[in-house]
Amino acid sequence: MPSASDPTRAHRLGGPLRAVAILALAAAVLSFPSWAPNPYILSAGVVVLNYAVLSTSWNFVGGFTGYISLGHGALAGLGGYATGLLVVRAGLPSFVALAAATLLVAAVAVPIGYAALRVRGASFVIVSIALVLILLLVAQSWASLTGGSRGLVVPRPFPGLLRPEHHRIFFYLFAALLALALLVWWLVDRSRFGLGLKAIREDEDKAESLGTPTFAYKLVVFVVSAGFTGLAGGLYALWFGDLDPVFQFSILTGSYLVLMALLGGVRQLFGPLVGALVVGVGLEYFKVEFGNTPLHLAATGLLLALVVLFMPDGVLPAVGALADRFLRPAQSSIREVTAAELREQRDTAPPGADRAADPPTELPVGAVDGRSGKEGP
Amino acid sequence: MSDETRGTGTPVTSDPAISDPATEGAAAPAADGTGSLATTGLTKAFGGVTALDAATVTFRHGLVNALIGPNGSGKTTFFNCVTGMIRPDSGRTSYRGADITRRAPHAIARAGIGRTFQLCRVFPRMSALDNVLAAARPGGLWRGLRGARSRAEVDLARGWLTRLGIEHLADVEARNMSWGQQKLLELAGVLMSGPETVLLDEPAGGVNPALLDRIGSLVRELNAEGRTFVIVEHNMDLVMSISDHVVVFDRGRPIAEGPPSVIRSDERVLGAYLGV
Repeated sequence: MPSASDPTRAHRLGGPLRAVAILALAAAVLSFPSWAPNPYILSAGVVVLNYAVLSTSWNFVGGFTGYISLGHGALAGLGGYATGLLVVRAGLPSFVALAAATLLVAAVAVPIGYAALRVRGASFVIVSIALVLILLLVAQSWASLTGGSRGLVVPRPFPGLLRPEHHRIFFYLFAALLALALLVWWLVDRSRFGLGLKAIREDEDKAESLGTPTFAYKLVVFVVSAGFTGLAGGLYALWFGDLDPVFQFSILTGSYLVLMALLGGVRQLFGPLVGALVVGVGLEYFKVEFGNTPLHLAATGLLLALVVLFMPDGVLPAVGALADRFLRPAQSSIREVTAAELREQRDTAPPGADRAADPPTELPVGAVDGRSGKEGP
Repeated sequence: MSDETRGTGTPVTSDPAISDPATEGAAAPAADGTGSLATTGLTKAFGGVTALDAATVTFRHGLVNALIGPNGSGKTTFFNCVTGMIRPDSGRTSYRGADITRRAPHAIARAGIGRTFQLCRVFPRMSALDNVLAAARPGGLWRGLRGARSRAEVDLARGWLTRLGIEHLADVEARNMSWGQQKLLELAGVLMSGPETVLLDEPAGGVNPALLDRIGSLVRELNAEGRTFVIVEHNMDLVMSISDHVVVFDRGRPIAEGPPSVIRSDERVLGAYLGV
């Protein structure tokens, strides 16, 4: 998968193989409405695509900077409610309301990010959860505006259409939005800005000490992420047509997005998409099978545990490494490759150059972490 | 080794193949010996421990300055305060005449002060080349949207890797490199960011004698090109052989300063540090 952060991986899976996989995936997605057996399956496809957009949007923050936000479900809910209210209360045309709601969520993300991005690690996760709970309370309590727990009915943008046709149109709208989100993620990934964000993920203080304005970088990417999330949430509101605070402002939604991105691989362009396909389809299936019991939640939790245990980098890197093993058996171990290459290069290097470079076998890989906290007094 | 032999003991070689990364970013000021990085009454306490106790120090521009002292004498805290990574309780820091006390670390870095860390810090899951590229000056958001691997910058980054002798590791992730290689990589990144003053926190820590020689002569070369150094170091051979000016810290404040030959025989230093 293309990623500027690991050139070693860029030429692992053969380029043609990757291109074929991407084209096959795109063809499968675009033709899905034609071979979906019934409208329910098609609507499930819309839900999965919505997850893919949300998870890819989440990955602007999670993948690049390593900040794990559980609050993105709330940003999507905010986009949904803003769109719905602008249509219902302000009488705006549906897609004008959607655009306005997107800008609104991006604008609201500035103060939210300004406050939340000051803390790191677990503290940031907790702040992001607080965002969900606060917005849930507001949406439920401010019933005169939002309709409270009775929900908010959003009129459909295309009132004359039959249900399957409605699903089909929104399926393609979500697919277009997914393509846009992937394109922007790819652009950031290969940019200097993206490299700075990845430096933040690796070691924020170190990045700062090299002159990267880390806070501004985090804030900008958070706002971009929130904008895409709000847009997806608004589009969902126009499609689904009925908003309930409990589902719009749900920690569960945010957790699903994290699970999808982690499962697919947060360093990969298509990681969240692959994760959304697996988890989204799984969620829909579990709901159909065990929808009356909490078992579908337990099944999802089990999936997350398995991924974290056995594929900490996600499915895509794991699959890539597996494919590598079959394609190039001699290069199954990174360490062997590195050592062999080094030996060869040391022999051919000009005299004096190797003086600086210690023999690679001197220290076992992983023995030196290279990171540290600051020294005490 | 005396001061006189030091100049001849470290051969100054420069690689003509590199399109002179030295002049990129860092202007080459004359070694005028005037004040460059200076602190006045810098104080920092952690709980009840006073790590810096009204430290007033001036490091000279264009020189290789050394900062020595026993463990816990406040050397690293001094670096952290000066680079903005921790906020001093009181006191001021100035650089080239400008007050930088309250500036953010990235602003101080862009003002021309680069630093390495005591336990070397690199970006572990990035290739060596990306580690160096990540240190390139960002230059605003719009420029930031350009590709990270522009020809000019990759050439510059490879130039630094070559100069530090780790060019062959350009595509290796930093976490797979040895300690010594990581230290060189960290230095390459700092130099890529174009500082005119470089703070090195224990450059000799945990490196083998051959590499130590290499780091020593590199510091002299870079100094000859116009960079100022402030080096925290416990290896007295290295300090005495490469530095022009030595400041000795004890209990959070300077107790002596002067050329290496003088410092070596200063009684306060011997008492506080060398344990004689």
